[in-house]
Amino acid sequence: MATGAREAAQARGKWLVSGPPILYLLVFFAAPTLIMAAASLRTPGEFGGLAPLVDEAGKLDLNFDSFARFFTEPVYLEVFVKSVIFATATTVLCLLIAYPLASVIATSPKRVRSLLLLLVILPFWSNFLIRIYAWMIILGPNAALARGVNGMLAWFGAGPVPLLFSSFAVLVCLVYVHLPFMVLPLYANLEKHDPALLDAAQDLGAHAWQRFWRITFPLSLPGVYAGAALVFIPALGIFAIPDLLGGPNDTLIGNLIKQQFLETRDWPFGSVLSIVLTVAALALAGLAAWFGQRATRARALVDA
Amino acid sequence: MNRIAKLAACVLAAVALAPAAPALAADQLHLYNWNNYIAPETIKRFEAQCKCEVVQTYYSDNEELLAKIAAGAKGYDVMVPTSNAVEALIRGKQLMPLDKSKLPNLKNIDKRYLDTSFDPGNTYSVPYAMSTTIIGYNDAKMKELGLPTDTWAVIFDPKYLAKVKGRVTVLDSANELFAAALKYLGYSANDVDPKHWDEAAAAIKKAKPYWAAFNASSYIKELTVGNIWLVHGYSNDIFQANLDAEAAKRPFHILQGMPKEGAVLAVDNMVLQKGAPRPDLGLAFMNFMLEGQNSSELTNLIGSGNPNTAALPFIKPEIRANPAIFPTPVVAAKLEQLKDLTAAQRRLRNRLWTEIKAR
Repeated sequence: MATGAREAAQARGKWLVSGPPILYLLVFFAAPTLIMAAASLRTPGEFGGLAPLVDEAGKLDLNFDSFARFFTEPVYLEVFVKSVIFATATTVLCLLIAYPLASVIATSPKRVRSLLLLLVILPFWSNFLIRIYAWMIILGPNAALARGVNGMLAWFGAGPVPLLFSSFAVLVCLVYVHLPFMVLPLYANLEKHDPALLDAAQDLGAHAWQRFWRITFPLSLPGVYAGAALVFIPALGIFAIPDLLGGPNDTLIGNLIKQQFLETRDWPFGSVLSIVLTVAALALAGLAAWFGQRATRARALVDA
Repeated sequence: MNRIAKLAACVLAAVALAPAAPALAADQLHLYNWNNYIAPETIKRFEAQCKCEVVQTYYSDNEELLAKIAAGAKGYDVMVPTSNAVEALIRGKQLMPLDKSKLPNLKNIDKRYLDTSFDPGNTYSVPYAMSTTIIGYNDAKMKELGLPTDTWAVIFDPKYLAKVKGRVTVLDSANELFAAALKYLGYSANDVDPKHWDEAAAAIKKAKPYWAAFNASSYIKELTVGNIWLVHGYSNDIFQANLDAEAAKRPFHILQGMPKEGAVLAVDNMVLQKGAPRPDLGLAFMNFMLEGQNSSELTNLIGSGNPNTAALPFIKPEIRANPAIFPTPVVAAKLEQLKDLTAAQRRLRNRLWTEIKAR
């Protein structure tokens, strides 16, 4: 009897704790996604918005035209592929830069560590757009960087290249903006590593590279996957950076979605593009979670 | 528990009272306007006259306004959309008819800008100010390179563009850029023949390798600092870039070039949102802005075109003499206001535009 009451209280407690976040997700994620899915099957209104659900003849106006359009007009798929390439490049570059940084932070003395972490988070204290505008000045044709680069190129006999308004500028800024999202989960993981493992490996004759590749890296994989998901997913949908820093060819899927809701006033097609983006992001998050779990299991084996 | 209950009661009371709060505040006019599109002294005078407060919110393009209204935004009194957006708002039944008996100053508006196809009889809208989409250039550089500044060819023809490669921006707007390309090819800016659109897209693609970017936001700054020498842009923005360049004592000016092929004219109009909380204040504001002096202050501030004949005596002589702001009759006849496209036309244009921008 008493245990039954305690179990019931426990179950109630569980619901009390998990209820609000579940409700939050239902209201702010599931419901908008369903609205978007419904909008993707409708027809755009002549002056924006959506055409009436039931047309003049009394027929229900639902169709897959907008989906068909995405898959039959190659240019939209091209933009999507390009966005995936940009997001992948951003993730890989972030990982290459963040890994050494996170290790340095994780292995530094405790007092320095919090200061270093603070420095990683510091950019968040100034507005996103201000940071992007700062890059516009840094990369501008009359700034020292562009002059230096083009001076060197001229020395090698190559013509000047623009740094601002280019794919290069977009990538630099994507990496810059997303770097902290890679550093933090990596640091959280690396900090927990037991230094005794590396000592043991060294005693057994493993050299530095082997110690990293056979011990540290496999153990850090959950952090790598978490960081990769945190960088890849927002990088895939971003529109402000290509809008402001991109050259004439740098349109990504985020810009395309923005166009559908503003200039073209085509909500159904905008919804289709958003759904494709959401599905891709969910698939990748699922994949990252799966890999992360496998890595954790492997780690449990090592620990045992 | 008791404390929580009290807190909940307080929150509930606050929520219940919130909608009543604005009624207790002073009279307010809600103006949904372009950024920097009314002189501060004009607002002060209106507030003194109406004994009310003007609350402004801003949009940066018509599409933003249309999207917000289509999504159900409420509570604005006066909005200032461009003619084609006015047409979309009228057809979407989003506007309130104007009581002309409250607008005696409407007589000040030049007849050419009244009773247009966008709003026959001005049932819903009255003209506020105008701008054109033209060429802006760095005078020192254009002179040095010997480039013309009175034709769209300088934006589209590789023969000229080769000299300014990477120093040119065009507006990041399918409607504006297609209109310019159609004008360059000798068609109407409102041409909807898909064959002509293909020609325009081909002209844009041919010129694109020479352009630095599609840019509708930072080109003012880039012109001012001398990074960009030639733009397809809005007359008000180019005027602003020159003011900024003068203030920074740059060794060049940013001038406006009116293309001889003609250009897009944008007339912005005051309208009342349907369900406006204070249509009385809205109409009072409109009539106030139709007064010559009040209307002139905006032109003096940002170099906008002015459809108000009573405003002319108050406008600075150098602005009145500027042919890009007050075009000669020959050029004025070649200016066109953009018409709204149908949903199908917008889809086609979006495909062409995406192909231009992604490849």
